[in-house]
Amino acid sequence: MKRYLFIISRSPYASSHALEQLEAAMVAAVFEASVAVLFRDEGAWNLQQDQTGGSIGQKTLTKVLDALPAYEVEELYVCADALGTLGVQIDPSLTVKPINLTEQQSLISTSDAVITAQP
Amino acid sequence: MNYAIAVHGAPYASEAAAHALSFADAVMAGGHSIERVFFFHEGAYQGLATQVPPQDHFNIDMVKRWQHLAGQGVELGICIASGIKRGIVDKAESARYELEHPTLAPGFELVGLGQLIAAINSAERYVEFPA
Repeated sequence: MKRYLFIISRSPYASSHALEQLEAAMVAAVFEASVAVLFRDEGAWNLQQDQTGGSIGQKTLTKVLDALPAYEVEELYVCADALGTLGVQIDPSLTVKPINLTEQQSLISTSDAVITAQP
Repeated sequence: MNYAIAVHGAPYASEAAAHALSFADAVMAGGHSIERVFFFHEGAYQGLATQVPPQDHFNIDMVKRWQHLAGQGVELGICIASGIKRGIVDKAESARYELEHPTLAPGFELVGLGQLIAAINSAERYVEFPA
């Protein structure tokens, strides 16, 4: 079983980056891979509480994130530095582990495939 | 060694394809193999059949270079969700959405996102070329 890491580094709604990365992560989980998602840089904004994507005609990212455990994507990480710098308030429905840069390095080096899909 | 390759950039807007093609050519020349090239996000535009590259640029006809790779037995799979929303449609999708004509270049095919994961699963290395 391969270990996949999806890195989301762009904010929600400005592009379809986060949504498409999450879709790919769910597909990987269907393949019975071990799947982790790391939010870093502007990507930490995806975790912000009180999102209403509907007001600009988009899916609310939080709803997609809420669905991840149902697909057995249960390992969610966020860059602790980005959280602090941006002042993101994580939605209380989400279970996300803040990790520092050293822990991110180890997460990347212990993954078989790292999908960043930078737009 | 067997490689899975992903391309995320559009032609001319980014160097993703140029770098991916050089890498793919080197992989094949080195006697290795490519499980699949997967085009995701803006990379879907690589398979647009109606591109007319400027004639005064050397070696810039990306579609021809991709097709040359396909000629060596390499699968070129475009994420169907990324593709159809950008107007990259094959015969079947063109008919399904009642469009005037298909726009997918020969040598490419529209495939599900699962084909990216399947390629990574089968390959020994995954290399992606961001936009």
